[in-house]
Amino acid sequence: MRVDEFLEPRVLIVSGKGGVGKTTVAAALALVAARRGRTVCLAEVDRKGSLPKLFDAPGLGYDPKEMSPGVWGMNIVPEAALAEYLEVQYHMRRISKAFSSTHFVDYITTAAPGLKDILVLGKIWYLEQGRDSGGGQPHFDTIVVDAPAAGHMLSFLSAPMGLSDALQIGPVRRQSDWLIGMLRDPERTRVHLVTLPEEMPVSETLETAEALRTKVGIDTGAVFANAVYSKLFTPAESKRVGELLNGRLDNGAAGTLPVKTLPTTTLMTEAKAVGLDLDSDDIDAVLGYARFLEARRAIQASHLKKLKHGVADPVIELPFLFSAGLALPDIETLADGIETEIEEI
Amino acid sequence: MNPIAEIVAKKEVIVCAGSGGVGKTTTAAAIALEAAIQGKKAAVLTIDPARRLASSLGLKELSGEPTRVSTRKFTSASIEAKGELHALMLDTKSTFDKVVMRYAPSPQQAEKIINNRFYRNISGTLSGTQEYMAMEKLYELHADGGFDLLVIDTPPTRNALDFLDAPKRMTDFFESRVLRWFLMPYMKAGGGVMRVANVAARTFLKVVKRIVGTEVLEDTAEFFGNLEGMYEGFKQRARDVAALLQSDSTAFVVVTSPAEDAVNEATFFAARLNESRLPFGALVVNRVHPNLGEPIDVKPRQLSKLEAGGKDAKLLAKLLDNENAFMRVVRLEERNLDQLARRVPRHRWVRVPYLEREAVDFPGLVSISAHLFGTDRQS
Repeated sequence: MRVDEFLEPRVLIVSGKGGVGKTTVAAALALVAARRGRTVCLAEVDRKGSLPKLFDAPGLGYDPKEMSPGVWGMNIVPEAALAEYLEVQYHMRRISKAFSSTHFVDYITTAAPGLKDILVLGKIWYLEQGRDSGGGQPHFDTIVVDAPAAGHMLSFLSAPMGLSDALQIGPVRRQSDWLIGMLRDPERTRVHLVTLPEEMPVSETLETAEALRTKVGIDTGAVFANAVYSKLFTPAESKRVGELLNGRLDNGAAGTLPVKTLPTTTLMTEAKAVGLDLDSDDIDAVLGYARFLEARRAIQASHLKKLKHGVADPVIELPFLFSAGLALPDIETLADGIETEIEEI
Repeated sequence: MNPIAEIVAKKEVIVCAGSGGVGKTTTAAAIALEAAIQGKKAAVLTIDPARRLASSLGLKELSGEPTRVSTRKFTSASIEAKGELHALMLDTKSTFDKVVMRYAPSPQQAEKIINNRFYRNISGTLSGTQEYMAMEKLYELHADGGFDLLVIDTPPTRNALDFLDAPKRMTDFFESRVLRWFLMPYMKAGGGVMRVANVAARTFLKVVKRIVGTEVLEDTAEFFGNLEGMYEGFKQRARDVAALLQSDSTAFVVVTSPAEDAVNEATFFAARLNESRLPFGALVVNRVHPNLGEPIDVKPRQLSKLEAGGKDAKLLAKLLDNENAFMRVVRLEERNLDQLARRVPRHRWVRVPYLEREAVDFPGLVSISAHLFGTDRQS
């Protein structure tokens, strides 16, 4: 698939269980789009504040701000969305501001669950329609939404359906139908799920994808499997690592070398030949990490298999980054990975 | 002494807190498991459905009341449990119903509240309900006195601190003057509908009515009307819960991974515990990459020579590369964790490395316990 084709729907909603790196993937997707000359709005919804940190930008407000060339960040706050809605629909901005300082939105959204979600989705629709409240922001070609965690995702996306069912007529009914139209149209909106190649995240992703399709009527676009350890060894090398770890060389009938002798002597000799002095702790360490990598890769492979088997969508594998604190260069690396993987779909 | 073993020996309530995806539920279960092995009657209360946990404990599903884990589970893992392990999952709705029934002046009024639509929505949507009810259930189980040790994981809130404020937020919510002021026209107090004098409020209500409908406002007003007179009970209970959490019987276990976000959250949380005079027990760092020694200093020249060599030389090049990559992660993880050391002394830490097998079954859980308690039962 061409990357431009992948970016065809204007609204890209990125969701997943907490801790799987959905904010990182959303940011990387935004970079991919920006690299292709698109003006991107990267929106966070639940005020986590981790987006601006990735871009080393100050905290985000309701008005989009450019965080890196072509990528504008914003925070969709339901209260602010309500104020904007009231302003545009009913010219009531001043009074609505008074309520945002109280718990008012909390009460009303408790009484009518999903209203908060509708306010957020309404703002996304506004952006998709290329409208704004006159703040002089650019026209956005792509809107990437760092959506709420998967558990809340279903209620988030199905909120307009609930409202439409409840209301037979009127302006609000019409507006919620607009939102449904946007969400259910794969040419306008795509939901991408992010997961980790681990037991719980994979089962939850499969459940979410299924529920989105059957309960909400939205197909997911792609599933991003994050932090996949890259393949390092050829099959022959893997076997050799196994032999070295066992400390035994299979010499057929000739017998085996004593335990522990083989890895030490073999690898030390190779190292010495290039002027590198390794002691037995070093040998233990390099072999230990090789074993760790292979063991984790085996675990990941079984979950990836289950994931690929369970979803109809392409699974995009993103590499484990050997860095604990993510920053812009890491996001760029992930963006590279996304581009390559999309082209292979 | 290992800090987890220490609090298990001394405390009656252990609260596991941390950001999402760091292994809170597994940690909570592993602590309760070890306590049961040592002879305690222990229960783990989870917030999530946690089906995997249920199945690894040999239970079909977790219910709202404690279910005992079969002794066969232990014997099949060649372990003798001197105590008992029970597990349950928070049932927000039924816990809330119980609270209402406890404080309602009459059963009729309790029923009115429980059948109210606004009330039924609360359990699912109002932020803080789940947290509030988790603390409520914990308090109830503790007051019943059926267990030596209760271990609870906290809700997957956006913010690990949220649940600390939950009881107060809920009582504030119920008591809000603003709300009553808005709902006044719908509250049938003293007969007849009261007039809203404020023009702005009237206009606003008109809009809200158009958006959510009259029924919703009436439900809301009815709910708050019925709740009159119960606030004092709620508030007293919130104070009791706070007192339990601050008491000597409780310890908080902060759970984190070495990832930057999780560490930031854990650092704030540890500080917050201190400010709120809540007893800190231990810090659990999950999913740590193994530290297998000092980084090996390899010159690029040596590496390229190896890469150009024979099979074993090429393999050694890859092995060294791999070692270097992992050492880099280990160092970055340590750097992230260093900021926590300023807040939590290292002797209160327990590290659980990434294991080469997953804790997806009972033996897996047992091996996590062994790491948490520093025992080598499973090694």
